[in-house]
Amino acid sequence: MAWAKQGHEAAFRELVRRYERPVFSLLFRMVRDRALAEDLAQETFIKVLNGIKSYKPEFKFSSWIFKIANNAAIDHLRRRSIDTLSLDGAPSAETPDQVRATSLQLGDRKESPLDEVESRELGTAIERAIARLRPEYRSCILLRHVEGYSYEEIAETLDLPLGTVKTYIHRARNELRGYLEDRRD
Amino acid sequence: MTDIPMHLTADEIELWAQGLLPAPQAVHLADCSLCRTEAERERKIILALVQLPQFAPQTGFADRVMAQVKIPTPSGDWKA
Repeated sequence: MAWAKQGHEAAFRELVRRYERPVFSLLFRMVRDRALAEDLAQETFIKVLNGIKSYKPEFKFSSWIFKIANNAAIDHLRRRSIDTLSLDGAPSAETPDQVRATSLQLGDRKESPLDEVESRELGTAIERAIARLRPEYRSCILLRHVEGYSYEEIAETLDLPLGTVKTYIHRARNELRGYLEDRRD
Repeated sequence: MTDIPMHLTADEIELWAQGLLPAPQAVHLADCSLCRTEAERERKIILALVQLPQFAPQTGFADRVMAQVKIPTPSGDWKA
């Protein structure tokens, strides 16, 4: 890190090599589109490396990079206004029409050959269940159980109160169980 | 009066899945079929999440990133 802060190209490359998979995996699972995930991952690394001088060593480097990646994904999802979409409609939906309008219909669009490859990659039951979670639950559960972060690290990374992180993770696990058990019924 | 632990919380079930559950709660778990069922369901989800694979970006990703990064002149040699 010290060398990267001094701007050594080899150190920058090493940082990309070390974090490209975890960062890309998080983004791919957040946006479920390989090309878009790659664009967001590039954007993340460019921001990190161009801003490396502002990195504070008391903050875990991986937390810093995941924070930037997660913000990129959330910003994108907000721009596309799909952050409130869930299979059951937005929480604010009160009438059947509102529920229908805000429901995410998985698999209702025509898939291109590339989409099919992505669907296969993200095709297991658990991946599909993760895709149905609200984005904020998704980032928490992925950081907790895929990246092995503690609740405190997630709170720091996502700028959320610790209690909120715990609530999101517990709700996410309950929803995942619900989706997977419904599938078996 | 003996302290009988209540049903396990979600946090405690996660600790159990990691093999870190304190003894009093572990005793409760051994005796409580409700908590055991809940813990087993939770463990399956955690296990499925932990085993998720990592994905790699397309080949040449680092080159594409580096092409857009401003690299200040370094000082000294770097060793990996």
